Amino acid sequence: MITILAVSGLATVQDGGRPGHMHEGVPPGGPLVPELLARANAAVGNEEREAGLEVFGALTLSGTAGTLVASDEGVLVELGAHEPWRVVGAGARVRYVALRGGIDVPRVLGGRGTLLGAGLGGHDGRALRRGDVLRVGEPRTVQRGRPRAAADLEGAIHVVAGPDLERFDPRALDVLLASEFRVDASSDRVGIRLIGPPLRRVAGDLGTSCPMVRGAIQVPPSGAPIVMGPDHPTTGGYPVLAAVVLGSLSALGARPVGAVVRFVAAR
Amino acid sequence: MSFVLLPFGDTAWRARLPEGSDGASRRVLLEGLRALPDVIDVVVSECHALVVLAPGVPLDGAREAIARTLARASSPAPHEPLRPELREHRVLVRYDGADLADVASTTGLSQAEVVAIHAGTAYEVTAMGFLPGFAYLRALDPRLLLPRRATPRPRVPALSVAIAGPYTGVYPFASPGGWHLLGMAVGFVPFDTGTGAAMSLGDRVRFVALGDEAAP
Repeated sequence: MITILAVSGLATVQDGGRPGHMHEGVPPGGPLVPELLARANAAVGNEEREAGLEVFGALTLSGTAGTLVASDEGVLVELGAHEPWRVVGAGARVRYVALRGGIDVPRVLGGRGTLLGAGLGGHDGRALRRGDVLRVGEPRTVQRGRPRAAADLEGAIHVVAGPDLERFDPRALDVLLASEFRVDASSDRVGIRLIGPPLRRVAGDLGTSCPMVRGAIQVPPSGAPIVMGPDHPTTGGYPVLAAVVLGSLSALGARPVGAVVRFVAAR
Repeated sequence: MSFVLLPFGDTAWRARLPEGSDGASRRVLLEGLRALPDVIDVVVSECHALVVLAPGVPLDGAREAIARTLARASSPAPHEPLRPELREHRVLVRYDGADLADVASTTGLSQAEVVAIHAGTAYEVTAMGFLPGFAYLRALDPRLLLPRRATPRPRVPALSVAIAGPYTGVYPFASPGGWHLLGMAVGFVPFDTGTGAAMSLGDRVRFVALGDEAAP
């Protein structure tokens, strides 16, 4: 059992996501930075998609004596009774907390993660607040914890061009690949908004709503791109210039507000 | 018939669908694509089919099976039953929405006429999306065609019954929204955390004005 003693910012329960329900309008979910949840989970000996805490800001918790906890820094800590343990943003976009055994909230449509827009999953479908008590799950592995190499979250974000290239100015893709963008403060788990030179379209919106994927770079009429995050609407009406590859989602999600984003063509 | 299949990132394909396909045939396509190996998610909208592959599955490996399924759905063999398990939903509505008066004055109808037209139409789920359990319903009577509101509301209440363009729908959750609000669904659960969305692609929907429940 753990008790949330303080939250500044936004903290939710997140796991590997709930794939398989997009045809019902349910986004795939999952951590904003899968690599960092995996790293925290590895440190406590969990499977890498086990439910943990996703923290934008800072969080303090305490737990039953002997609770094993780690952040995405990968350092395993055994809690003493009533001993507060704290994870802070320290310039990171988001931090992750894993507990050995994971967090025992009910599975909803196959996932334990929180979908705030629908009040679904996680702890009562909402963000965590002071005083919340969460049950820790039964460990499903005997291994106590192992280090996981820190992934390279710097560098360019790889994208595949399209699928709506014909709706853009022929130079729009070059502008995307040659320019510097910055992460806008209004970014969240639904979408990462980027500030940079406008990506010019030559055609209007898609008319009817079209299927979206995580990583899709949607471009509204303003020309300022929005990259679909884990809680993206399953359909959208803006044309897509390119889509971020799976292997670059962590690097993009980990960029703090204001940080530089550069794109490069995959392969 | 051939389909243009384009990569959507490195884990998904997107196909453009022929114009004018109905919801029932797109439901057949949805189920056919979902049954393919290595496919984890499928979204079929009015004009496109999206097929998301399991992480690590190479895009090219799945292409042929997807193309075959698309071709089969567009030209079913005569003996092949094309009727999926479609459901009919009857949704009670309290027609007291914040935009009912505006819709009436913009369309030149009385409020009672707007209600009678909206509730007098049989709709089909033409796509699922936007929010968990949200169904885009066609086809709205042409007399009620209106563009979206110039300024979206920051918060549309859950269960609002609304119209925009050729569509009507029920907001499953409170959310920002730009549709015109005609009323509130009563006793309808668009999305259940245990069983998921109440409506599926191709389903039929009728709205019934509260007080008219006995009507056929």
